[in-house]
Parts: sequence; structure tokens; C-alpha cells
Amino acid sequence: MIANIVIGAAIFGYATWALVRFINKSKKGKCAACDLKNSCSSNCGIPPKIQ
Amino acid sequence: MEIALIGNPNTGKTSLFNNLTGSYEYVGNWSGVTVEKKVGIFKNNIGQLIDLPGVYTLNPLSKDEGVVTSFFLNESVDRLLNILDASQLERNLHLTLQLLEFEKPALIGLNMIDVANKRGIQIDAGKLSEVLGVPVVPVVARSGKGCDKLVDAISTKSTQPVKKNLVYYGKEVEEAIVTLTGMLHGKTDLSVRFLAIQYFEGNEYVRDYLHSIDDQQKLNPVKAKLESKLQKQYEVKSLANYIYQKRKEVIEGIVAEVARKSNSVIPLSEKIDSIVTNRFLGMPIFLLLMYFMFMLTFDWLGTPLSDLLDGFLTGPITVGFEKVLTAIHASDFIHALIIEGLVAGVGGVLVFVPQIFILFFFISLLEDSGYMARVALVMDRIMESVGLNGKAFIPMMIGFGCNVPGIMAARTIETPRERLLTILLTPLMSCSARLPVYALFVGAFFAGNKALVVLSLYVLGIIVALTLAKIFSTTILKSETSLFVIELPPYRLPQFQSLWRSTWDKGKGFVRKAGTFIFAGSVFIWLLSYAGPSGLKVDMDHSYLAAIGNAIAPIFDPIGFGTWQASASLITGFLAKEAIISTMNIIYFVPNDASLQGLMADYYTPLAAYSFMVFILLYIPCLATVATIYKETNSKKWTAFSMIYAFAIAYVLSLIIYQGGKLFGLV
Amino acid sequence: MFGLLKAGGKGKIINLSQVGHLVQRRLLDLGITEGSEICVKCVMPFGGPVMIESCGQCVGIRRREAVQIEVVKL
Repeated sequence: MIANIVIGAAIFGYATWALVRFINKSKKGKCAACDLKNSCSSNCGIPPKIQ
Repeated sequence: MEIALIGNPNTGKTSLFNNLTGSYEYVGNWSGVTVEKKVGIFKNNIGQLIDLPGVYTLNPLSKDEGVVTSFFLNESVDRLLNILDASQLERNLHLTLQLLEFEKPALIGLNMIDVANKRGIQIDAGKLSEVLGVPVVPVVARSGKGCDKLVDAISTKSTQPVKKNLVYYGKEVEEAIVTLTGMLHGKTDLSVRFLAIQYFEGNEYVRDYLHSIDDQQKLNPVKAKLESKLQKQYEVKSLANYIYQKRKEVIEGIVAEVARKSNSVIPLSEKIDSIVTNRFLGMPIFLLLMYFMFMLTFDWLGTPLSDLLDGFLTGPITVGFEKVLTAIHASDFIHALIIEGLVAGVGGVLVFVPQIFILFFFISLLEDSGYMARVALVMDRIMESVGLNGKAFIPMMIGFGCNVPGIMAARTIETPRERLLTILLTPLMSCSARLPVYALFVGAFFAGNKALVVLSLYVLGIIVALTLAKIFSTTILKSETSLFVIELPPYRLPQFQSLWRSTWDKGKGFVRKAGTFIFAGSVFIWLLSYAGPSGLKVDMDHSYLAAIGNAIAPIFDPIGFGTWQASASLITGFLAKEAIISTMNIIYFVPNDASLQGLMADYYTPLAAYSFMVFILLYIPCLATVATIYKETNSKKWTAFSMIYAFAIAYVLSLIIYQGGKLFGLV
Repeated sequence: MFGLLKAGGKGKIINLSQVGHLVQRRLLDLGITEGSEICVKCVMPFGGPVMIESCGQCVGIRRREAVQIEVVKL
């Protein structure tokens, strides 16, 4: 019984963590999700005139 | 200590970066592989190395080049490491002279000496160092030869340039520089001489910078006066041209002093070129190559390997899990979670690893050999007719691997309109995450000609992209300017090691995703299918997942797959396209040996299956791609547009295929 | 005048000023300017781009721009 609870908790715990992390990373796009974001200055963007 | 790596495009900066920092960044054999700034730590910890996109000059034309200029203006750097392509010394030195004007400690890595030697060019590194007044270290970036000497030079030698003002720009320009120096005194930490010359050359980034620190009413007249004076006196076309000529004269002197040329043999590169960019064979060769790639991925090699892996997962692995679960007396819930949720969901995606790796291997081969730029050349005529240029084909090719780097690669496109168009259309390229869906469906319904059916989908993606390009460029994105000048690098025989690294680097993302997102997705999808309004362990048709799927299923009825199963997998597919396949594995879970492929025939007709594949190919890009589109366009409007038009075009095409097919009596 | 050149043709650029500003800049970046010797490597069909070589490096440009480059045959 204990084994059941431990396995269940581990799987759901990890799954929740992985899902939240993935969605946060994806939402930010490549730049913000990048490990180097603090030292990276290449701001992305097309000049506003075309918009 | 911060050291910036800078040089012309395709001179091996990133190769050197990888060698010096022990990291593995994306390398390839065309101009514009690196489109953003990358930072790494030196192996021996002497400081940070910053890899920048390649530039010909500090006066930028495109977005990726702008990254370099703004880096120079806004960030502090301790040393500059300039990489020169020894086989193109004249062109490379234009940048070097500008860098030396920046008056920061600099040193030079002389790369591609082997290529230069083959062309019959011998360069005296010692003499070059003497003339330029900075250390010059010969290196072979690809193999890492000479890198240790370079590191020694970086960490020990004083690299403050000993010579100042290598180029004398003539009395008039020098006087104007002095005037500007007086005006800017104390207002900036950067070299005023550098700023002044860049300003005279028409560098927009420097102009904006100067206007932000000093009155533009005072600055403009200096430049205007200088230009008209030179035009009158020397009949030069423009100030920029005059400055270029002055540099050129100095460079010719330097090259005459340090390089010796002898007769060379015709490089192999040119012989290959005469075939692959042949007038009439170019396009067929490209299509043949693609066909070969799909045959290998789906027929000859990929599928047998996938089947082996599938057998292993459904056989020994599942049995192993069953044994362990029985041994620990697992409850029904945990048993179902692991076998029907995780093994089915994660395993169902992992099965396609061999096919994905073969595809990535081919993409790496294209990138590393130098063929990429040739494809751009071959495709330019078609791309031009739809309002794009050949260079836009490179992001699309990269998009076959993953759309996110594809969209990033669009930065090398010079004109903003063409760049935006490329960003909007790259998601239509069938990325590797969509490949498992095809593999599953062609295996079930089109076993006879798997590769051909998949190729038809890839080609359909390209055709739709080109058609839309034509429509967009004649309606919402009208503009006349288009620019196509592309550098064609010499062919290189790809090294096995770098090919493998490159393939692994792309493929590991897929494997990692299986362990994180797909794992998590599988758990929750399974839970939704296991639980329902009436409690746990319900019949799947009465689960929460079925309820969600049923809510939107009617929309998809006219295009052949109005089942809750298909709708539910399409929803998860927005988060990541791989999730489609893991969702299907969970929903259509079959115990024992019966395969998912066999079961599919109960739910889809071949025509509905094709319609489904077309829909998967074109519908809303995944979350990461949408976020990247937003980052790169910086516009909510265009991001929303990219999602809406993709959904609309997917629906319309699937409708045409399904209803049209039915009219012709197909099922 | 460039249009007269066929694959294998060699020439020396005498005037670039007819070519669009952006293309001129890019060619200049690549070291191709007035006085450069160039050689046509191949010409794509249906009015497609041409591949030219100068100082050992190959560059692809569009037919439209290539025609605007004034050269003298060598």
C-alpha cells in the first residue's frame, strides 16, 4: 500500500513539475528560456515600421 | 575577463568557440549560422568567450549583423578575438581595420590556412602580426589545431595594439575626425575615432548612438560638409565609398607584404558545383536527395529500427514492468497508470527516435557540407516569383528539423518584409515532431508507398508556403525591395565526428522532451481518460477526456475525423506536436500484442487518415513556435495572424481533400 | 552588359552604380567592386540567378542585378 502511494506521488509530482516548467519555457520563447538570458543582449524584433 | 569573438561570416567562429569553451553550439557551412550572441566559459577558466554572428563590416544591413554593432556600442568587452579566413584575406581585413580603430586590446586567429594553401596562398603570420601591431596565431578551428597557442596568447600577451591609426583617411576626413573628437570629448567611453569614422560611413546604429549623447543639429553639418568637400575635390561617389577605398589601399599594401600566391589546382568544390547547380539538374537533384532521405527514414532503415524498438518496448520492457508491479502488489490504479499511461504514452514517442535521428543526420549533412547555400541559389527563381528570395529557403530547411531555430534563422534575411514573410511561413514546414504521426498513419494505411506519401506531405507544406507567400506579398505585405546576394562557401567533406555531434545535439532535444513533457502529458492525459464524471476507472468513452474531445469534435466532422479521440489529440498537439502521438497511444491503448496500427483502421478510412495528416501538417504551430514568432516579430497582431491563418488553411485543405476525395469515390 | 556573358565568361567590373543600393553594399562587403575581375560560373534557367566567382569566392546574385553590372570582357 505504501509503495502504491509513494509511486503515485512520485509520478504525479514529477509530472506536474515537468509540465509547469515546459509550459513556462515554451511560453517565453527561445530567448527568455535560454540559459544565457542574463548575459545575452540580442533583443529580437522586427523594426516597428513594417508592423 | 570578457573576450568577444568576431569575424566575417562562415570563417569558423563557432567552431573555434566550441573548441575553446568545450561547449557545443550549432555550426554549419553557410553564412549566417549564428544569429545571436552566445556566451561560454573558457576551458581553463580565464574568462568568458562571447560568440557573435558573422559580419563583413560593423555597418549592418541585416538584423543579425545589428546584434554585433549594438554589442560594440552598449557592452563592455576586455578583448577582441578576430578570426580571419586566410583564403579571403583582403575581404576579412576590412573588418579587422575597423576593429583596430575600436582601440581595444585585440588579437587575431588566422583560420583556414589549409584552404588557403590549397589555393596556392601562403601567409606569413609573423609579418602580419608585425604590420597590424597585434598578435596573430594560426589555427585550424575545425580540428582544434593551434587552439592551445591561442589560449596562451589570450591569457599572457599584452594585446593592446601597438600601432595607432593604421589607415590615414586623408587630410579632410582626419580634420573632421578632430572636429568630432572636440565635440564628443568626455561624453563617451568609446573610441571617438571609431565612432566618427563609422558615423561618416553611414552606420545607423552609431548615428543613433551619437544622437543620443550629443545634439544632432551640431553633428549633421560636419558630415554633410565633409561629404560635399570630398565630392567636389576628388569626384568620389560618396563618403562611405571614399572611406572604403582608403581602407582598400592600406589592405592591398598589407596583403602584398604578407601573402605569396602561386598557381593552384582547380578545387574539387568547383567540379561538384558544376553538377549540383547545373542549369537543369539543380532542382531534380534536390528533389532526388529529399526522396532518398525519406526512403531511408521511412523505408530502408528507419522503420525496421523503429519496429525493433517497438518490439522491445511492448515486449521485454512491458513484461518487466508487469513483473515489478505484481511483486510490489501495486493497485489497479498504479498498474494502469504505468502500463496504459506511461509505457504507452512515452514509449509510443520513443519508438520514433531512430527515424528522427536519421532525418536529423541528413539535415546536419546538408548544413555541414555547404549544399545549403546552393539550394538557396537553385530555389531563388521560384522564391522570387512569390515575393521572397532564395535565402528564405534556408530557414525553411532548418524548419524541417524544428520550426523554432528555423524562425530564428530568418534573421539573416536583410529586408524586414521578406523576413516577416519567412517567419510566418516557416511553421508550415513539417518539423520532426510531426514525423511520428506520419510514420504511424502511413504504416497503417499506406504501407505500400510510405516514403512517397510522406514526401507528398513535405512537398505540400512547401507548396502551401509558396502559394501563401505569393498571396501575402501581393496583398498585406506589399513592397518592391528585395535583395538576394548569397555567398557560396566551398564544399567541405563533413567529418563524421562533427556530423554525429550535430545530429545528437538536435536529436537529444527530442529524447529529453520524451522524458519531461511527454512524460507529464501522458500522466495527465491518462488520468483524464481514466477518470470521468461517474468516478475512476470509467469506460473511456465516458471519461473527462471524451467530454473535452466531444465538445469540439463536430467541427472536424466535415474533414473526416469528427471523433473525440482525434479532437483530444489535436488539443494536446498545440503544446507540442509529439503529444499527438502519445495521446493516441493512450486513447487507443491495446493490451497484448495487437498493434495500434491495426486498430487505427477501425477509426479512420485511408482518405480520412490523409486528411488528418494534412491537418496535422498545417494547423496551429506548437506553443514554443508561437512564442518564438512573438519574440521575433514583437507583434501580437502577427502572432495571432500566424495561428489563425494556419488553422484556416489546414481546415480548408483538409476539407478539399476529404470531400473532394469522396466525390471521386475514394474512401 | 553582363547579360552577354555566358558560363565561363570572364570580365572586369567597370561600373556598379546602376545596381541597387543594397546589392551594391553587399557586393562591396564581399570585396566585389569596380575593378574586380569576375568569372561567371553558371547561369540558372528561366531567368534565375547567376553564380559568379571573384578572388576565389563564389557569390550568387540575381539576373536582374547582374545585367546592371557593367563589365569589360577579358
